[in-house]
Amino acid sequence: GGMGGGMPAQSANLDVAVAELDMITDVFNRIVSSCHSKCINPRYAEADLNKGESVCIDRCVAKFFEVNKKVGERMQTMGGAAAGG
Amino acid sequence: MDTNQASPIYAQGITHPLLPPLGGPNPVLPPELTPEEKTAVLTQLRWTRYSQIGMESCAFKTLASGTIGFGLGAFISLMSASLQYEDPILRQQSAAGQALSSGQKTLEVFKEMGRGMWRSGKGFGKVGALYAGSECVIESYRARNDMTNAVAAGFVSGAILAASSGPKAAFGGGLAFAAFSAAIDMFMRRETKE
Repeated sequence: GGMGGGMPAQSANLDVAVAELDMITDVFNRIVSSCHSKCINPRYAEADLNKGESVCIDRCVAKFFEVNKKVGERMQTMGGAAAGG
Repeated sequence: MDTNQASPIYAQGITHPLLPPLGGPNPVLPPELTPEEKTAVLTQLRWTRYSQIGMESCAFKTLASGTIGFGLGAFISLMSASLQYEDPILRQQSAAGQALSSGQKTLEVFKEMGRGMWRSGKGFGKVGALYAGSECVIESYRARNDMTNAVAAGFVSGAILAASSGPKAAFGGGLAFAAFSAAIDMFMRRETKE
């Protein structure tokens, strides 16, 4: 949390918090949408997830975060090279 | 960053299944609970989660199928034991049979029935456990739920069950059980009227 500063500091903190919340919500919705389209059979035979579907969703979420991390690392190196070179 | 500062909605305990789970893994409990009640509720939630995970695991499915198979085999053997007939001439001819009283003969009949139930139960239990186990493992590996899991599991368990009779018999047994389990799975996955 911020120190007991003036109004600008507090509103800047709030803006950062709102932006982070928006980002997390956006990532969450993307993961749900992408893993649902990949893993869930369009024929809804029952309400519960099968073993295959739950295993698929576990792997899908893990892969999503891994891809995110790798792309972030590459972009960091690219950005570093562009700033340095 | 303190999530309660950034997300006052979650601090008030407002959750919705479709919202991202920003409030943390534990649910926000009503404030009027004492600490002991809170730990009790959280422990109960944890145990229900563990039991749900356990019941969906491959080991539990194998065990449950084996147990149900055993029970089914024993029941079938019990029902078919009522159709067994006793050959009095054969029993009279054996020296031991002449020496037994009628009470002892009854005991022998019941013991034979028990042995038959155990044998039949073991066989059915083995089939059930093998099939359920291999289907669960194959489905976990492929991360997909369709009919090839049943066919492959049928082939594997049929081959294992017939393994003692040589490779050609194992292959044929695997094919037969695969066809059987394909038929059953097609029936289970058929389009019902609803």
